[in-house]
Amino acid sequence: MSESVTAVEEESSENVLGRVFNAEANRYQMGFLAVAFLGLITVPMWNPGWTYVFAFANIWVIFAVSWDIISGHTNYISFGHSFLSGLAAYTTALLTFNVDPNMSIYITFPVSVAVAVVAGLAFALPSLRLSGPYFSLLTFVSVLIATKAVYIFSGYTNGEMGISTVSVLTFDNTEMFYLTLVPALLIAAILLYISRSNVGLVLKAIGQNERAVESAGLDTTRFKLWGFIYSAIPMGVGGALLAHFFGNVEPIAFLIVDRSIEMIAIAAVGGMGTILGPVGGAYLLIFLRDELFRAFLGPNARWVALWSVVLILLVTSPDGLFTRFWRLLDRLGGGGSE
Amino acid sequence: MSTTDTPLRIDGLSKHFGGLTAVDDLSFEVRDGEILGFIGPNGAGKSTVFNCIMSVYGASEGAVYLNDEDVTGWDTHEIVNHGLARVSQESNPIDTMSVEDNIRLFTLPNSPFAFTGGADHEEIVSIADRVELADKLGEMPGSMPHADVRRLEIAKAIATDPDILLLDEPFAGLNQAEIRDLSEEIREFREEGMTLVVVDHNMKGLMALVDRVIVLNEGRKIADGTPEEIADDEQVQRAYLAGAV
Amino acid sequence: MVDVLTILVTGAMISSVYALIAIGFSLIYGVRGVINLSHGALIMIGAFGYLIINGVAPEWVAFIGAIAVAGLASLVLYLGLVRYTEHDVVITFLATVVVALIVQQLLTLQFSLAPRSLSPLVPGGIPVAGTRVRVYQIVAFVLSWVALGLLYLFVRRTKLGRSILATSMSEKGAKLNGVNVLYVNAATWLVAGAFAGFAGVFLGSLQSTSPTMWVNALGLAFIIVTIGGVGSIKGTIIAAYLIGFLETLTVSFVGAEWRGMFALLLLIGIIIARPQGLFGREFIE
Repeated sequence: MSESVTAVEEESSENVLGRVFNAEANRYQMGFLAVAFLGLITVPMWNPGWTYVFAFANIWVIFAVSWDIISGHTNYISFGHSFLSGLAAYTTALLTFNVDPNMSIYITFPVSVAVAVVAGLAFALPSLRLSGPYFSLLTFVSVLIATKAVYIFSGYTNGEMGISTVSVLTFDNTEMFYLTLVPALLIAAILLYISRSNVGLVLKAIGQNERAVESAGLDTTRFKLWGFIYSAIPMGVGGALLAHFFGNVEPIAFLIVDRSIEMIAIAAVGGMGTILGPVGGAYLLIFLRDELFRAFLGPNARWVALWSVVLILLVTSPDGLFTRFWRLLDRLGGGGSE
Repeated sequence: MSTTDTPLRIDGLSKHFGGLTAVDDLSFEVRDGEILGFIGPNGAGKSTVFNCIMSVYGASEGAVYLNDEDVTGWDTHEIVNHGLARVSQESNPIDTMSVEDNIRLFTLPNSPFAFTGGADHEEIVSIADRVELADKLGEMPGSMPHADVRRLEIAKAIATDPDILLLDEPFAGLNQAEIRDLSEEIREFREEGMTLVVVDHNMKGLMALVDRVIVLNEGRKIADGTPEEIADDEQVQRAYLAGAV
Repeated sequence: MVDVLTILVTGAMISSVYALIAIGFSLIYGVRGVINLSHGALIMIGAFGYLIINGVAPEWVAFIGAIAVAGLASLVLYLGLVRYTEHDVVITFLATVVVALIVQQLLTLQFSLAPRSLSPLVPGGIPVAGTRVRVYQIVAFVLSWVALGLLYLFVRRTKLGRSILATSMSEKGAKLNGVNVLYVNAATWLVAGAFAGFAGVFLGSLQSTSPTMWVNALGLAFIIVTIGGVGSIKGTIIAAYLIGFLETLTVSFVGAEWRGMFALLLLIGIIIARPQGLFGREFIE
C-alpha cells in the first residue's frame, strides 16, 4: 500500500516489465518473482499431489485480486464479494438447470459475468456515495439477501443441495490446473497494470484522503464506480469458472458470507493494495486450508487453525506478509525504506 | 486566464447551521488579475464562505458564478476543473505518498480510463519550483516541516492550473522570512495571470500584498475598498476590537 | 386465519428480544465508534453458555451464567484485542469478524452444526387473548424492559454511566476531566457483552441455537441500529420493534422462509434514502 512511484532516481527500470507496471524491482525482488512464477507454472511436475489444490487456489487468486483492486485500494471494505462470484455461478447453474442443460458455455459464461456485474452495480451505485461503514454494511447485506433468496426459491435453485447440471471443464487435474492458471495470471496482470497506473494511484489516494482527491479535480464517485466494475468483471469470471470447476453450485462453497470473509482475509494477509500480495496470500491460505491444516487436523478443526493464523497475522502484520517480505528484499538490495 | 472581468462572483450567499447564521446575504466580486484580501475577525465566517463556494458545504441561499457560469452546488471536483482551486487552512497531504506523487495526483486527468497521462517528472519539477519544493520531491509529507507542508498544499492547488486561487490563512504558522517569500510567490502567480483571493484574520500581513480588501464580520460584508480606505474605516476598527476572540 | 391479537403478542415478544440484540451493538458503535462484528458471536456465546450451564444447573442459574460469560467474553475481547486495533477501522472490522468465525468453528467442533433448542427459562404456556403464549416469552418481554430501564438509569444517574456518555462525545475532553478512558471502554464492552448474553438466551429459545446463528444475529443488530440511527438508544428500541413486527407479519402472511428478507430490503431503502437512520446524527466523517 505504500509503494510509491518515485522517479527521483534518473533511470528507473531498464526493462519493459518495469515500465508497463510502473515499478522498480531490485534483483532480489525480480529473482523472487521469477522463482515463484517458475515454481507456480510447474507445480504438476514437481508435486502432482498438489495439482488439485493449486488449481483451486488459482481461482481464488482471481477472487483475491479482484477484491483488492477496489477494497484494498480505496479502503471501502466489501463484505459481499461472494455475492458477485456466487451470482455468476448461480446464473450458469440456473441456466443449465432450469432452461437447457446443454446450453453452450460460450453463452452461459458471458451471461453469467454480465449478470454479476449488473447486479453488483445495483448495490454499488447507491452505496459508493456513502461513507465506508455503510458500504460495508450494504455489501454484507447483499450476501445475506442472495443466500436467503437461494433458500426461498429452492424450486429453482435446489436450495442447500445445489445444482449439479453444470459441465465440468475437465476431469484431469493437470489440465484443470493450467485451464485455471491462465485466466488467473492474465487477470492478475491486468489488475496489476491498473493498480500501478494513474487510476490505481487515484484509488489508493481515495483510500487515504477522499476529500483531497476531490480537491484535485477528480470525480471520486466515478472512480470508485469504475474501480468496482474493474473488480466485478473478474469476480464474475472467477465465479463462472468455479462453477465449471466443481460442476456443482451450492450456497456453501459459492455464496455464504464466510467465503467473502476468506477473500478479505487472503488479501489482508497478503498485503492490501498490492495485487501481488493477494496472489501470494491466496496460494498460502488455500494451501494451508486444504492441504496442510486439513492433513493434520481434519476437515473441521482446520478452520480454527486457519482463522487463528489469520487473526495473528492481521494484528502483527497489518500491512501484509508479502508486503513485509518485499520490503525486506528491498532493504537487502540496498534500497532505503520509506 | 479568465475570459471575463469578474471571474468569481458571489450573489446573496447565505449559510445557516440550524439556528446559527454563519453567512448572511453576502455579495461580492473578484476582478480579473487582482489580489483580493478577505479579512475579518475570528468566527466572522470567512472559511464558511469558501467552504460554500467549493461545495464542501451546500449554500443555504445565493449563487456562485465562476467565469460567468452558475456553479452553485456543483461537485467540488467540477469546480476545481472549472478553474477555481483552494488551499485550505488545514493541510491535507496524503501521507503514504511522496511529495511528487501528491502533486502528480493533482495533474491527473479526470477519467477512470486514463491509465497513463498527467504531468511527467519535469513538469512536476517546474510546478514544485514555483514554491521552492523542487529539491524535496522524494520526501514524505509526514517528515517535512510545517512551512514545507504548506508549500505542498499550494503546489497541489496550482498543479490544477487554476484561473483563480483561494488561499485560506496562508501565513499561519510561518515566520517573517517565510511570509516574505510566500508574498513574493503570490505576486509571481499574479504576474503569470492568476487571480488570487487571500483570506486572513490579520490585517497587517495582507495590506502590502493586496489590491483591494473585503471585510467580513458576523457573516456580513462591512467594508470593501483599498487597504488604506479599510485601515481608516471606523466600522472595521470596531469590529476588530469587539470581535477579538 | 391469523388474528391481530396473535400478531401483536408475538410481535411484541420478538421485538423485545431484538431490542436486546441491538442495544449492545448500539452501545459500542454509538459510544465508541467501533463496529464490533463479533457482536453476533457474543450473542451466540450467551446461547451456548446457557445450554452448557443448563446441563449441570437449573435454568435461572444458567441464565445468570450466560450473561456473565458473554459479558466476560466481551471484556476479554476488548482488553485482549480490540484495544490494540481500534485506531484502525479496517483491521478492527477484520479482526472481530475473524474472532466470530473462530468461535463458530470451535462451537461446531464441540456441538456440530445441528440446531438445538434451549430449555425455556420458565416452562409452560398460558392463554392470553385467545392465543397460547409461552410463559418464558412474557418473562423475556418484561425482563427486556427492566434491563433497558436499568441501562437508562445507569447511563443517566451513575458516575460510570455518565463517564461513558462523556467519553463518547469527546475522548480528549473526558480525559481532561480525569476520566480513565481505558476503564470506561472496558466497562462499556462489559455491559454490551452482558446484553448480548441476555439476548442470546432468549434468541436461542425463540429461534434455534446453532454455531452459525451469529450471522443472522449480527445482521439483525446492524440493521436495527442503522435504521434506528447510530448513537440513539431510543432509535434502536423503536427500530427493534419496527423490525420485530415486520418479521412477524412476514412470517404470518408470506411465509417463514421469507423471514428477514423484508428487513434487509428495508435496510437498503434506509441507507439510500436516509443514511442517518430515523433518529441518528448525520454520519460525518
